Amino acid sequence: MIGELDFFGVFVPSVLPLAILALVISLSLRVVLRRVGFYRLIWHAGLFDTALYLVTLLAFVLATRSVAP
Amino acid sequence: MPPRTPLTVTAKKLAFSCANTAAVLVALYIAFASNLERPYWAMFSVFVIAKPISGAVRSKAMYRLAGTLVGAGMALFLVPPLVQAPVLLCIATSVWVGLCVYGSVLDRTPRSYALILAGYTATIVGFSVVNRPESIFDTAVARVEEIGLGIICGAVAHSLIFPQSVTDELKRRVEAIVTASAQWISEWSSDAGRPVDLLAQQRLATAVTESHLLYSHVRYETSDAPRAHLLMRILEERVAVLLPRISGLQQMLAALSAVEARPVALPTLMATVSRWSQALARQRKLSAATMADESGLQQESTAALALLDRSAGGWLVLLEQAAIVELSELARALGDCRRLAEALEEGKLRLPASLENRARLSGSRALSADHGLALLSGIAATCATLLACVLWIGGSWPEGLVAAQFAAIGASLFATLDNPAEPILPAVTGILVALPFAAFYEFALFPRIDGFASLALVLSPMLLLLSFMQTFERLEGVALVLAIAFSGSLALAPSYQADFAAFANTNAAEIVGLLVAGVAILLLRTVDPLWNARRLSRAGWRSLCQLAHKAPRSFQWWLIQMFDRLGLIATRLVHTRPTSPASADLDPLRDLRVGLGIDALRKLEIPPDRPEARTLGAILEDIATMYEEKLRGHPGRAAADFAEHIDAGITAAWAQVPSAHRQAALAALTSLRLDLLPGEAPHLALWSPT
Repeated sequence: MIGELDFFGVFVPSVLPLAILALVISLSLRVVLRRVGFYRLIWHAGLFDTALYLVTLLAFVLATRSVAP
Repeated sequence: MPPRTPLTVTAKKLAFSCANTAAVLVALYIAFASNLERPYWAMFSVFVIAKPISGAVRSKAMYRLAGTLVGAGMALFLVPPLVQAPVLLCIATSVWVGLCVYGSVLDRTPRSYALILAGYTATIVGFSVVNRPESIFDTAVARVEEIGLGIICGAVAHSLIFPQSVTDELKRRVEAIVTASAQWISEWSSDAGRPVDLLAQQRLATAVTESHLLYSHVRYETSDAPRAHLLMRILEERVAVLLPRISGLQQMLAALSAVEARPVALPTLMATVSRWSQALARQRKLSAATMADESGLQQESTAALALLDRSAGGWLVLLEQAAIVELSELARALGDCRRLAEALEEGKLRLPASLENRARLSGSRALSADHGLALLSGIAATCATLLACVLWIGGSWPEGLVAAQFAAIGASLFATLDNPAEPILPAVTGILVALPFAAFYEFALFPRIDGFASLALVLSPMLLLLSFMQTFERLEGVALVLAIAFSGSLALAPSYQADFAAFANTNAAEIVGLLVAGVAILLLRTVDPLWNARRLSRAGWRSLCQLAHKAPRSFQWWLIQMFDRLGLIATRLVHTRPTSPASADLDPLRDLRVGLGIDALRKLEIPPDRPEARTLGAILEDIATMYEEKLRGHPGRAAADFAEHIDAGITAAWAQVPSAHRQAALAALTSLRLDLLPGEAPHLALWSPT
């Protein structure tokens, strides 16, 4: 995950696209969970949202590391 | 709803200050650890987005990030080709700033912040690299990185450490709006002679616009905040109806007393409404008794109307009938407001059954846009930036670039304010006050400390104090200016470098920049409030003309926009002398009433082949002509045969069989006649009872 990605000549850390992807995914997850009414069970929604994002990001990082070490 | 930890007000404020200080320190730490160029940018970014409501923090964070990206991109686009032609570069950047300010003043929602930032980030990035254009890309990236870092730290800290949900504040405001309206209605209906004063108009309309803006943050709230778009939208429309209804009612009462008539059923009905709204103001939740009273009230008014239907026709009967219709509409709107506030309070977002139909009708809302004012603000921002550039380039003043940047910042940030010149002086004072503190830190403390831990320790008291100041509504602006000036003049950099000449010069340039912005805004944007009110009224008249010509896509949308405008006009008129003749023909409430009347007539849906449809067409045509004449500056000139047309309309409506339709038509026509032909005795033939 230290590696860099060549983005049209600009080097960006490879976590960046993963972080953006994780943001999109966790935002849509949140919409779904809200529709279901899941948040009524949550004590601290801010904490839950942050944790959800971090878990999603970690999942992506681990997944990409196992694909391309 | 999840139970949030209950906190007292002071504890909330302390929690906010701790969260903010923690965010600043974390941002600084990360910035130092990753060797960013200007860690203090991250530092004051935290202060800029800090708001007591966590949803507002996140929305501001998003807009700030987006604006910074666009602005840095614009600098990347402008600087390399124009760096050899400083004059062109200055003009291009200033025009960009002006454009952004124009857009942001038009928008009026929190989103406008993104545009402001897009404007002045271009100057911050663009102007600071003119001497070494090859570093433009690095500077742009550094700016985005540092701002992004500050924003993320602030947003995360404020969402995790004792977040204050926007919903609580929203509920509080909606509750206040409903209670105040119920109170007013109760007072007005018990004392009919009391006029709907400008202050009340202004308060109600501004409160509604504010809660609309507050609601726009909900999208960025943590996921447990209920999404109540529909509810808020209908609530706004229902509140917007209250004021024109009350004032219409009063007008009818005045007309009744002018002919010394003794209305039959109206006084008792008014007393009932007064008692009922008094009860409504006192309870947060509709009790069964109040609900029963409400249906009793509607039945009472139906009975009174039926009685009037059977009586002999005449102007008096028409007036009383219209007044009763108005009164029952008023009571219905107020009851709806209470029901909606209750639904919001309980977090069950299923709409009350009576309102579901309304939800389908309403379109999405936009606040009224004011192109003239936006244009002036844009020009002022462009001029301010250009003027500072002239000082910078013409005076060969190396720190002049800071002046140009601050001119752009000042002109953009203050452009959205109502009296933009007002905060410039406090801002300059803020910089001057922050200076000795910053100098103390820079030249007395920093030489003695080493490492991040000691830096955090010496900074904490100041950061805590500034954050705590931000939690007070009155000190918020001052605290922000102090925080920005403080972090700006500290200019924390990875290695310590004390340079008193640069310190003094930069701060002087900041003040000069702000003063230039102040002068430009004062010259260009100080407008007579009365003139401004007239301009806004004219915009309202234009939209009324359109309404009379053609049915809009959503009348609710039209109404809410008009109501928003009413708040803006009333704000301007409150400060002028009430009896000044120039403001005599400015009556936004009357315009709203005329709009409601037009809508009521349209709702009748008369088939186009009936003769009544032709009369209706003629009436609407006349109203449009009348407002067109007003726009041309002949307010008194009524359309010649308007009286004839509207009387024909009243006669035709009277001849119908008694029904709710007939009552609505008669009420709308009577109210239009009162509004557009004031003081004119109707030449109506007496009709026999049907």
